[in-house]
Amino acid sequence: MLEGLTIVAGALPYLLGGCVVTISVVLGAMALGLALGIPLAVGQVYGPRWVRAAIGVHVWFFRGVPLLVLLFLFYFGLCAFFDLNLTAFTVAIIVLGLISSAYQSQIFRGGISAIPQGQLKAARALGMSDAKAIRSIILPQALRLSVPAWSNEYSIVLKDSAVAYALGVTDIMARAHFVASRTYQHLPLYLAAGLIFLVLTYIGLKALKILENKVRIVGYSY
Amino acid sequence: MKRGMACLGMILALVLLLGTAGAGMAEEKEYINGIDPNFPPYAYVNKNGQPDGFDVKALDWIAKEMGFKVRHQPTDWDGIIPALKAKKIDMIASGMSVTEKRKEQVNFTDFYKEIVVVLLAGNDCSRTVEQILAEGNLVGVQRGTTEASWMKDNLLKQGAKFELREYDSSPAAVADILNGRIVAAAMDDVTALDAVKKKPVKIVGPLGMEEEYFAYAVRKEDTQLLKTLNDGLKRLMASPYWDELKQQYDVQ
Repeated sequence: MLEGLTIVAGALPYLLGGCVVTISVVLGAMALGLALGIPLAVGQVYGPRWVRAAIGVHVWFFRGVPLLVLLFLFYFGLCAFFDLNLTAFTVAIIVLGLISSAYQSQIFRGGISAIPQGQLKAARALGMSDAKAIRSIILPQALRLSVPAWSNEYSIVLKDSAVAYALGVTDIMARAHFVASRTYQHLPLYLAAGLIFLVLTYIGLKALKILENKVRIVGYSY
Repeated sequence: MKRGMACLGMILALVLLLGTAGAGMAEEKEYINGIDPNFPPYAYVNKNGQPDGFDVKALDWIAKEMGFKVRHQPTDWDGIIPALKAKKIDMIASGMSVTEKRKEQVNFTDFYKEIVVVLLAGNDCSRTVEQILAEGNLVGVQRGTTEASWMKDNLLKQGAKFELREYDSSPAAVADILNGRIVAAAMDDVTALDAVKKKPVKIVGPLGMEEEYFAYAVRKEDTQLLKTLNDGLKRLMASPYWDELKQQYDVQ
């Protein structure tokens, strides 16, 4: 037991170094998911039928195929087929980002749908185009309402990022595994890895809770 | 709203840039060596988080001697030959055995080590190799190794009744020997000796395969690289550093 703790203590700087990789992957994926998720949500609520159908296919595909399958498909399959020389790190961000965009689009769609229809009608009555109304009236409110669900998505993406280990991204999980192979102290090391992830989740959720309180719409009944 | 989008765009761009910058910005050609990072003492990650091991250090010496730069990239062993062919790595120096099947996909340098595959079991195991390879026993092996395919083709197909469990690394199989999930695991003798040094396991005996040889692998079209590695290997094996390495990593 003591030997295990000593090994973990010695390897801690190396394991914590993995945090940089993990956080980079998570940030990249969440950003990609956000950048795609908002247009997808708007398209799904306000778009013509063919747009809604196309978005439906995107969401169905990226929610329906397991993460690991998609990672291998992109990294070994598509990269070779299209002759792209992307690193495992980049592929992890792209795949996690695409999957997250599918889930985030549904989060934002819920937020948008929660805004009373009267607001859009009032905007039109004032002469605003739909695009302006969506950008300045609907979305600001919808996004604020979506923060709690979005922080849920953050914790999911953080945990899913550990799967990128299978592509060779040297994140926290990969590092714990390497040290375990050298020292055979599997239990203390994977416990430590789990603990690090817990701490990262906690910090992120706390930060998002602060954001949620800051952007709360005073007067909305929730 | 606009500021948020701009921030978002910047974060995404920054992260992607940081990630891919490493890949693109080498002025001098740096070769990437794919290693199995869970294969002590040939290739593993040391306490400081650096790739280390007999093959890693040998290749570093060869690189210095022959005048090229090399970086060691931990890669999943299962997909290491596809990674080589897809140009994600340029060579494999990581305790790779030469087989006819592999020779169809890649070219090998001259041999530098002969190994025998053995069965490893817990210290309290009193069975022989034949007894272990019998009905009802679970035997572990690393996925994608020559011993894994040998056991499937030559033992299981010929009617042996043990059950084969595949692991992504030999140390994981050793961990399962220790917690009783499997009776024994097959691996090459040097890796087995590494486990014996660290945990209460012992070598039961040779598995019954023919001897195998380790060599470095390169893509078929890289004839110049093959020649460079062969020359470097010859020089390494003639220098005193070769014996130093063998002693340091306990490889005989």
